[in-house]
Amino acid sequence: MTKSRPKENHTIFLLTVLLLAWLIPGAGHLMIKEHKRAFIISVTIILTFCAGLYVGSIGIINPSGAKPWYVAQIMNSPIVAALGYLAKTGDYAVFGKPNEIGQIYTSIAGLLNLLCIVNAVYLAHLCKIETAGDSKCT
Amino acid sequence: MYITYTLVMATFTMPEKITTDPQSMLWLLPLVAAIAIVYKATKLPEIKIFNFVKESVILFGSIVVFMFVTALVLYSIAWLVIE
Repeated sequence: MTKSRPKENHTIFLLTVLLLAWLIPGAGHLMIKEHKRAFIISVTIILTFCAGLYVGSIGIINPSGAKPWYVAQIMNSPIVAALGYLAKTGDYAVFGKPNEIGQIYTSIAGLLNLLCIVNAVYLAHLCKIETAGDSKCT
Repeated sequence: MYITYTLVMATFTMPEKITTDPQSMLWLLPLVAAIAIVYKATKLPEIKIFNFVKESVILFGSIVVFMFVTALVLYSIAWLVIE
């Protein structure tokens, strides 16, 4: 019951949670068995990101022309990098209000996912402290 | 199947038409809802549906009211400066 996990294993566990939470929004919470949180986070962030893409098209992901926005957008998932590569061809140019709203939506979704990544890692760390490596979280 | 796929992909490759009228400010509301929901999902110690919805609605309302008041204050200042 109180079997303690070696420190390196705990670090690897935290890194795995961090990576999963970045790969798929909500997956970090799913790994620490916070199913309800994972579902809410996943649905909300993916919907917000898709709403931004729907409004502005994939042209709003612009790694070279809008770097600060891109930094926030890539917090959503590494898939954004692939979309940025696609959009770099210049075939999806977007200007004005759709560009503005699309960038705000996708960037806010990314920053919200960053909050969730930090929260998932924090909860995973708390699990270790509170349960001394019990199997509640892993 | 291919047509469905093409239609779905097309919606993400063409921007929507959004005018710069006051109604475009309503695009703020879904974003505020998303922020309130995700923030409460990370902050509540335990997720219980009724409590979660209540807390999210309160935060949503607080943000909207605060932004409305801020807009009114800024509008008043602008009006005073111009008049």
